[in-house]
Order: sequence, then structure tokens, then C-alpha cells
Amino acid sequence: MIYKSKSNFQNHPFHLVSPSPWPLFTSLSLFILTTATVLFMHGFQGFQYLVALAVFNVIYVMALWFRDVISEGTYLGNHTNAVQKGLNLGVGLFIISEVFFFLAIFWAFFHSAISPSVELGAQWPPLGIQAVNPFELPLLNTILLLSSGVTITYAHHSLIQGNRKGALYGTVVTIILAVIFTFFQGVEYSVSSFTISDSVYGSCFYFGTGFHGLHVIIGTAFLAVGLWRLAAYHLTDHHHLGYESGILYWHFVDVVWLFLYISVYYWGY
Amino acid sequence: MFLHNYISKLQLDAPTPWGLFFQDSASPQMEGIEELHNNIMFYLAIILFTVTWMMISMIRNFLANKSPIAHKYMNHGTLIELIWTISPAFILILIAFPSFKLLYLMDEVMDPSLVVYAEGHQWYWSYQYPDFTNEDDEFIEFDSYIVPESDLEEGQFRMLEVDNRVIIPELTHTRIVISAADVIHSYACPSLGIKADAYPGRLNQASVYINRPGTFFGQCSEICGILHSSMPIAIQSVSIKDFLLWLREQMEG
Amino acid sequence: MGAIPEADPDEVLETKPFKFVTGYDARFPQQNQTKHCWQNYVDYYKCTTAKGEDFRPCKQFYHAFRSLCPKAWTDRWDGQREAGNFPVHLDK
Repeated sequence: MIYKSKSNFQNHPFHLVSPSPWPLFTSLSLFILTTATVLFMHGFQGFQYLVALAVFNVIYVMALWFRDVISEGTYLGNHTNAVQKGLNLGVGLFIISEVFFFLAIFWAFFHSAISPSVELGAQWPPLGIQAVNPFELPLLNTILLLSSGVTITYAHHSLIQGNRKGALYGTVVTIILAVIFTFFQGVEYSVSSFTISDSVYGSCFYFGTGFHGLHVIIGTAFLAVGLWRLAAYHLTDHHHLGYESGILYWHFVDVVWLFLYISVYYWGY
Repeated sequence: MFLHNYISKLQLDAPTPWGLFFQDSASPQMEGIEELHNNIMFYLAIILFTVTWMMISMIRNFLANKSPIAHKYMNHGTLIELIWTISPAFILILIAFPSFKLLYLMDEVMDPSLVVYAEGHQWYWSYQYPDFTNEDDEFIEFDSYIVPESDLEEGQFRMLEVDNRVIIPELTHTRIVISAADVIHSYACPSLGIKADAYPGRLNQASVYINRPGTFFGQCSEICGILHSSMPIAIQSVSIKDFLLWLREQMEG
Repeated sequence: MGAIPEADPDEVLETKPFKFVTGYDARFPQQNQTKHCWQNYVDYYKCTTAKGEDFRPCKQFYHAFRSLCPKAWTDRWDGQREAGNFPVHLDK
């Protein structure tokens, strides 16, 4: 009898994951996405549909996977303190890898901008490029993003202190600010006089701001999931790891924007 | 080296099989490189011998069967560790200073008397002498291809001889401007102590001052495709008078 | 091409003084001379645009870039100037 009941308890705090189809499905979707994108960019007919399908597939599988993680964490109680520690470490390392991704983009920018090649007329921005005035839309966007940093901090502190309303409203305002930011970036792209193929200036500009914009969209989705889980009573004042990771990610996106604003928009103007 | 220059009139200006050592220098730069190398090698040999001798004697004298007492608590000694860490650092500094001095001396192209432009192609070098023009504002321009093995004459070097050598006057400061037309190549000549990468869209310079007549061979030194080994460099130094005669023939012809 | 011609022993060769202009330029002390060539090309055409073709001091820039720049480069820039897409305003 005593042996039987002992086997029902786990004598360590770690989460041994159960078999899951999602790693395989994610890999397959990503494989199709890269293959289709390469073929599409080489002008193969009709591959834009496969790219769209693959993007949908990747997002769909990710959603299913994250749904499972939410179930494990919230309903099955697999996310013990030890597991949370590990997950936090993983999020931190992921953000560090993202930092280095953006470091590479900034490196490309400074390489081209500090000593502009003779093909550009040895000047930055090159002749014919009308750079975006940093004191117009980009300044407004900077204010929007910094404000969103304030509101998400308010929401976080409210959650920790058990103020449900404050947490909800803070997150909602953050997401609204984020959507306005993305909209304004879209406006800026549509009115700008240069494209990604207009010299290394255009390439570096859209490379940097484009990947930042993508990260803003991902961060917005991250916070939106947090908002939904807040509304659905998933989160407590002591256990809200996904939400906190989203906040950390959002701050990272915020900092990248500050560097982009200072170097690409202001210094490069 | 010094003695050798007086005893022998033969100079080694081309690579040889198993040529582990330097070719004979023909420029102050290469002399500087050789001197630095020989200097460092002298001390290197002493260090290598000392360290090897210490290691071997440690192994020989402290074998378990020879020295049965194990020094259980003697596992570090701060003083000797400081000595064997700081003294190599000093040696490295002593190597670094003359190296940098030589490096920056070689970098300088102070007051050249002519420019030779060398451009790497897949797979040959082409040359321009932009300083000498005729009435139609044309200057000397030629391609320098390898002489294939089947066309070699008696005494010519296989894989090194070219159809048109670069002619440079001796005892003349020359700026070689190096670039490429397609992929990265590298312009090198061991006897002259030059090696500079050739990049499309970039001009690199090297300074050459040849102090004796002769023909100096080099090879492309940046892998550039299947015939990377078949684009040798042959630089011939001649007297100023011969150079001018050559120039005139080129301009008229 | 190739062989060094034989000197004619009767011919009197006369050496004339010769001053080479593209010496050391403190702005370009590095091995990379790309902008040494480029700057002299730009300066020459800025100089002649401002002072006219016959203004003799401009020649210094001409000799410098003529000596340093590969012909293919200056030909390309000449074409760009004629087509009006040279990446520098030479009249400013």
C-alpha cells in the first residue's frame, strides 16, 4: 500500500514534458516557410501563396503549442517555482540572443554610415536620399513607445498589488499605444521617398526599422495574450510568468527603438 | 646574410621546392622583415630550449618510482607563478614594439616617383602605368598571363613565368596601387616584402623600393577560383635608363 | 612587349627634372587609398567648375587622381557626370 501511494508523488520539482507533436509540426512549417520564401524570391510562379500558407501554419502551430504550455502552467500546475526559474532564464537568454541580432543590424548600419563608400559620394545620407525628419513622426513614435513603457509598468505593479482593474486598463492602454505606433510606422513607410532598394541607406533603414516593427507586432501579440489571460483569471499576483516575459520583451523592443531613433533617425539625418 | 651577399652573386628570387626559409630580399622592407624574424627566432630558440629542458627534466626527475614522496601540500607557489606569467608578457611586449615599428614603416608611402596599378582578374593580373602618357593621353596598359608549361623555355620557372613582366626601375620609390575587377585576389612578392589584398572597389597601396636588378616572382595569395594558382606575379627591376628605353618602346609600339 | 630594348650607344639621352605630385597626403595615411583617388577627382571637377578649365592650380588635383585612379573608375565617373547622376554636387 505504502509503495503504491508513493509512486503517485514526484520527488523533484521539475516538469518532465509529455510527448508532443508541436516540435515536429513547427519544424515542418518552418521548413516549408524558408523553402517557399527562397523560391518566391527567385521568382517562382505562385509561391507567394505557399509563403502565406506557411506563415499561417507557423502561427497556427505556435498557437496550439502555447495553448498546451498555458494548460500545463495554469491548470496542471507543472510550473513550480523551480520550473519558473528555468523559464525565466530561457526568456532572458532568448532576449540576449535578440540583442545580438539587432547588434548585427546596427553594425551593418554603422559600417556603411561612419565611412560612406565613394559609390555613395562619401556622404551620409547619400545624395538623393531624403531622410525622414527625426523631429516629426519618429519623435511622436518615441513618445508613444516610452509612454507604453510607463503604462505597462503601471499594469505590472497593479497586478502585483492585486489591483485587477489597474492591471487590465494599463495593459489595454499599452496595446492601444503599440497599435498606434505600428500604424504610424506604416504611415511613415508609405510616405517616405526611398525604398529598401535605394542604396545601402534604404537597405539599412528598412532592415533596422522593419525588424523593429516586426518585433513590436510580436510584442503586441505577446501582451494581448497576457491581457486575455488577465481577463480570464489565469494570472495571480505571484504567478504570471508569461505576462512578465511579455513585459520584459516589450521593454527590449522599447530600448531597441531608442537606439534606432538616436543612431538611424537622429544621427543619420 | 650580409656575408652571403658578398660571397655569392646568385640570389634566390623565386619559390623553390621545400623552400622553408625566406627568399633573398631585394627591398628595405624585406630586409626589415628578415631582420625582425631572425632577431625573434634567436630568442625563440633560447626560450624553446629552456622550457623544453625544464619540462623533460621535471618528467625525468619526478617519476613516481624515482621520487616516492608525493608533495601533497605543495600545489602552488605564488612567486614562481607570477614570474612565469609576467616574464612572457614582457617578452611579448619586446616582440610587439619592433613589430609595430616595422609595420608602420612599411605602411608609409612617403614620396613615390611613379605609380604602378595592378588589378587582379580571374585569372591574370593586368597593369597600368598611369604617369606616362603619349600625345593622345594614352598610357601603358597590359595583361600579364602565365606562360603555360608547354611554352616554357629553358631556364624559365614553371607556374611562375608570365608573358609580360612588370618592369620597375631599381632604386626608385614606387607606389603599387592594388585592386581587383571581379573577386578578391592578393598581390604578393616575397623578395620585395609586399603582400596586399586586392578588392574590387577598393584601392590598396604598397610601397616598393627595389635595391638591385633582378626578376622577382610572387603568386596570387587569396584563393580566387580554380586557376588561383595560375596567375603568378613577375616583377623585373632594371636600371632607370633601361626603364626609360622600355617606356619609349611601349609608348611607340 | 616584354623584352627590354637594346640601347643605341650613339644616342644621347637627356634627363629632365620631373616632379611627381601624388605624394603623401596626410588625410590618407592608410593602406586604403580609395578616397585619396576619389577626393582628388571630386576636387578637380569642383575646382574647374568654380574657376574654369584654364585655372592652373586645378591641375594638381588632375595629376593626382590621374595617377591614382584606375582608368575604369574615372571613365565610369565621367559617364555619371555626363548623365547627371554623379553622387556629389560639383557646383556646391
